[in-house]
Amino acid sequence: MVLLREVGYARPATIEDAVSLLATHDGARPLAGGQTLVNVMKARAAAPDVLVDLVDLDELRAIGFSSDGLLEIGAMVTYTQLMGSSEVDVARPILAEVASTIADVQVRNRGTVGGNVCVSDPTNHFPPLLVALGATFTIRAESGERTVSADEFFLGVYLTAVGEGELLTKVNVPPSSGAGDGFAGVTIGKHGTYIVDAAATVSGDDVRIALGCVAATPVRASAMEERLTGSDFSEDSVRSAAVGVGATLDPPADVHGSADYRRRLAEVSAARAVLQAARRRRAK
Amino acid sequence: MSPTPSNSLLQGASSSTVVETVEPVVLEKGYIGRSVPRKEDRRLVQGLGTFFDDVRRHGMGYVHFVRSPYAHARILSIDVSKALELEGVYGTITGDEVAIHTDPFFEMSVEPGGNIKDYALAVGRVRHMGEPVAAVCASTRELARDAADLIEVEYDALPVLVDAEESLKDEVVLHDDAGSNVVWSGVFDWGDVDQALAEADHVVKIDRLHFHRFSSTPLECAGALVEYDKGTGEWTLTCNHQMPGVGAIWMAPALRTGIDKLRFVTHDIGGGFGNKICLHPQYVVLCLMARKLGRPVQWTEWRTDQHTANAHGNERTFLDVEVAVKADGTMTGFKVKALDDCGAFPRYEPLGCIIWAQVTPGLYSWRNIRVDFTQVCTNKSPVSPNRGYSRMQHLWLTERIVDIVATELGLDPVEVRKRNYVKAEQMPYETPNGCVYDSGDYAAALDIALDLIDYGSIEERRVEAASRGRLLGFGIGSTLDSGTNNFGQSTLLNPDLQFSGNNEAASVKLDIFGEVVVTIGTVPQGQGHETTAAQVVADILGCSPEQVNVRRGHDTWFNSHAGFSGTYASQFAFTGLGAVKGAAELVREDMVQLAAAVLQAPVDAIELADGFARIKDGPEEAALPFMALGAIVNANNAFLPPDFNPTLNHRFVCRPYFGMVDTEKKTGQLTLTYATQIHAAVVEIDPETGDVEIVDYAAVDDCGVRINPQIVEGQVHGATAHAIGAALSEEFVYDEDGTLLTANFYDYHVPHAMDMPPLKTGAMESPSPVAPLGAKGMGEGGGGGIHCIGAAIQDALRAAGGAIVYTSCNPAHRVWSMLQDPEATRANVKVVSR
Amino acid sequence: MEAPARSRAISLEVNGEQIEMEVPARRLLVHFIRDDLGLTGTHVGCDTGNCGACTIDLDGQPVKSCMALAVQADGAKIRTVEGLAAEGELTALQQAFNKHHALQCGYCTPGMLMSATALLERNPHPTEDEVRYALQGNICRCTGYVNIVEAVVAVGEEHA
Repeated sequence: MVLLREVGYARPATIEDAVSLLATHDGARPLAGGQTLVNVMKARAAAPDVLVDLVDLDELRAIGFSSDGLLEIGAMVTYTQLMGSSEVDVARPILAEVASTIADVQVRNRGTVGGNVCVSDPTNHFPPLLVALGATFTIRAESGERTVSADEFFLGVYLTAVGEGELLTKVNVPPSSGAGDGFAGVTIGKHGTYIVDAAATVSGDDVRIALGCVAATPVRASAMEERLTGSDFSEDSVRSAAVGVGATLDPPADVHGSADYRRRLAEVSAARAVLQAARRRRAK
Repeated sequence: MSPTPSNSLLQGASSSTVVETVEPVVLEKGYIGRSVPRKEDRRLVQGLGTFFDDVRRHGMGYVHFVRSPYAHARILSIDVSKALELEGVYGTITGDEVAIHTDPFFEMSVEPGGNIKDYALAVGRVRHMGEPVAAVCASTRELARDAADLIEVEYDALPVLVDAEESLKDEVVLHDDAGSNVVWSGVFDWGDVDQALAEADHVVKIDRLHFHRFSSTPLECAGALVEYDKGTGEWTLTCNHQMPGVGAIWMAPALRTGIDKLRFVTHDIGGGFGNKICLHPQYVVLCLMARKLGRPVQWTEWRTDQHTANAHGNERTFLDVEVAVKADGTMTGFKVKALDDCGAFPRYEPLGCIIWAQVTPGLYSWRNIRVDFTQVCTNKSPVSPNRGYSRMQHLWLTERIVDIVATELGLDPVEVRKRNYVKAEQMPYETPNGCVYDSGDYAAALDIALDLIDYGSIEERRVEAASRGRLLGFGIGSTLDSGTNNFGQSTLLNPDLQFSGNNEAASVKLDIFGEVVVTIGTVPQGQGHETTAAQVVADILGCSPEQVNVRRGHDTWFNSHAGFSGTYASQFAFTGLGAVKGAAELVREDMVQLAAAVLQAPVDAIELADGFARIKDGPEEAALPFMALGAIVNANNAFLPPDFNPTLNHRFVCRPYFGMVDTEKKTGQLTLTYATQIHAAVVEIDPETGDVEIVDYAAVDDCGVRINPQIVEGQVHGATAHAIGAALSEEFVYDEDGTLLTANFYDYHVPHAMDMPPLKTGAMESPSPVAPLGAKGMGEGGGGGIHCIGAAIQDALRAAGGAIVYTSCNPAHRVWSMLQDPEATRANVKVVSR
Repeated sequence: MEAPARSRAISLEVNGEQIEMEVPARRLLVHFIRDDLGLTGTHVGCDTGNCGACTIDLDGQPVKSCMALAVQADGAKIRTVEGLAAEGELTALQQAFNKHHALQCGYCTPGMLMSATALLERNPHPTEDEVRYALQGNICRCTGYVNIVEAVVAVGEEHA
């Protein structure tokens, strides 16, 4: 481990060139911040033949609004950038709040939103969060561009809707419009990896809850969402709605917790995320 | 407080323990006792330190080890041919070559453990995941790594043992030469514990306690740059081995060469904590490769390898504990079966079987103790000394006992400690097995800790925390850091071992231009030896620490080392500084005599001060700068009378004196100094998740005279951080295939800056009557944090089922389990009352 | 559009000096700094980007150089610990580390200094919590962080 295999490196100047490189070379992978990919290559757990460095693609660093008011976040936007963005602060501050708890400042200076979702590691922060927020993902291929919903984006461990020869260009997040967002869980040490986490959004008529770390991809706690329809979101209501969330899950067991422990954490985290979201919701 | 001499340490000492008191020189408190800023810092803050991986040699090759992916397997074949074809590869080495060119390392234990054959690479069989099987050397680090992938090893998997109790059955035997997995076993029996149990008002029985595997994981990994001089047959190892004396004793016979053919050179070392003591297997491989390839070879351990295959701390299971307690809370004795899991190869670790006996009774005055100790091999990483080595595990046992006794009998944990602590007026105190606690006032130190943590407000804080849905708990951990070992303790392990006593060497010289130069046999890894040694020399020679140049690190060619040289076992303040003091005093004597001769004054009219040798209260001109003295002796000495030969260059060996060890009764003076640590913690538990937060923490240390209080306090901080990590998250966990599941810093979580609680520290100074400067070694601490956090968790859980803490590491999931099923842990404990 | 290549000629500024060198694409930035440039103050302490001993300043931000490739630094401006003290004159932070005994073995120190320097450049008077947050990516096994945090806070207070 710890030293990379020989690899080819390219630094395209345009998104078209990047996509073309990814499509042309078997075993080519995009290189964003490298905070996961470089480690994976050090461990020789993955060994792409070609790295397509996205560093010069300024278009991918933009944060702005679409014509219908969606917050558009370029795939190369770093966590530090999210934290300093006034657009994010106005439209969906939970994104910056969660970003500020990822690892440490060095990682946040390089790690990107695109990297976080494309890696699709079950313990990553953004997959459950973006599922709860109902985000969409814009993917560019040589054949054109398409947008995929959060529920269709995450396919498995390290597996997303971004296929060979394709590039994630944007993550599109609905503005909060008065909704409250919450995120809760238990980590290994402060700002460490999550053992279980939950993201929740509570708006006037809608609750969305997504659980992380309990399956290969984020899990919507649909039954709990249903139980909360028309809820007053009091502590008691939310906690009783959370009961049974764990029973539907088949979480992994490892050094940091048994499957039962994770089931329990899922219930607790879901309740806490919902309560936090409900507190932050703006009265209509 | 100045060191207080005492005439006799013992009243009515047993004949097997004789202690000689050293009358400590009452030094003018110049630099000793002051927090002099460190001399080491200047280079280190500029990134100009020299760590071994920073060193380059022309033509050097980089080495990568091929390591076993199996925990237990036969090696069927190794094919290096494809690796050798890769351009840039200089060569390889396998276990077969090692078996031809070296002899197995000497084993410390008696049979059966003593029959184990331990080579530098696996020979025929691998016994833990990550065990080095072959090595390849290439022109770059990357190429060595690539070449390693081309070495083909065929294995035939064998059944895996990852449990010490399972290993005892000897159904799967790891070392055929030994014929058993038992490395050593013995019974230590002092006083009459059966009688104490019969007479007790309460007998508290604890079925099982487990001290887990972890280590200090120094940030710099192990490694060496090794050069071989074909002309002289000498090897130079630029490395970070923290105990070169013992390293050489292992390596030289294995390499079939003389000890003097191995030159160890250390510069700056990025932490050791004991984890850089058993590096001899990899170093022997490097020596062989340097010789075989005819070029310098360099190896830097990877973090994953350090966790998987270097050094784990002692893992110990305590079974069938029985404690005798009187109605008034006096504890009169205990017995226990201790099962130590030393991993695949014992190496240094058999000493762990007896080193705990330095602190047999912990801080308590019980006299009837029986320990039935067995050590076994398993298919895990070898164990080697880790900060607190073997004593920490035993002290955890005594502290668990005290807390469980207190909980079960409804006694106050503070009161039961004060009742049972050895009292200040009993110092120096001889323990049931003949060790002598030199000084200390445990109750006073505890009071300081209680004060720092505002003990009086605990119940109020408990109620307040409960209102927020949190369980608050308070716990104490009282420990001793025993320092300056008597290596005669090894005869308790194996009466045939020819080791006893201890030593450290240093030299001091005054050079031609008046520079004071000091070399020491120690191997600092951050303890500030250059600075504290300079403080001592400055006070003796009457100059400032800036004028004293302490050479960095250890070098065999300094000839300032002795058989036990190194930095380990909390002894620098005694042996290291004792050697420095001795050498400086000899130089001082020369200086005074020389100045007296030159200034034509009587010897007792001369003083050394401000960098001069001068006549006390004499005229200004009657003063010689150091430069003048140095110049005379080195370059202008013809006028000195023939029978007067000052050299201004002296080497001194500090040899602490110990009584002999009685191998039959297993008694004797095993260490000389005992620093005290009393730690107290307040925790809050989230009952929904088991998450533990430390909300208040106090650490009180008493190491006698503090040469540099700031450095002492730094060690206390560091030891506390290690203990907090071990108590809450650091755990080496294996699955049933012998795979280490916590091999990197994601899964093996160590405290980061945000994980540390607010730390309050306090200090006392109970000078040691036996140490040359009244200063006790204290660098290890005793693991106090592990004990007090476990106790605090148990206290917090009293309000939620009353689980008993049974293991030394309690991350959230384990605490949660204790909340779900407290009965499972309570079933572990029974009280039988009269 | 250039084809992918296994090595690349890179050009970057390191501690104020312009460097041009051909490097393998697979070379980690930390090894480039240590082995190719001989700047051994930046250290390697782990395999997985946790410990921060390799922290440097890349284009004005602290980053872990073990998780970057040297080729990614083509065109960048890098500062390492050797670039802090101009002509051997220690910075206020380096002096504070000495005064407050914020280092023992010194192995994590370069990384700590780079992270703390970056903090103080953005936030000249940080609170203790802000210091801990800024140093969360730098592991120390010797000091327990107590004196390190104290030193950084002290520098902030001195220049208040």
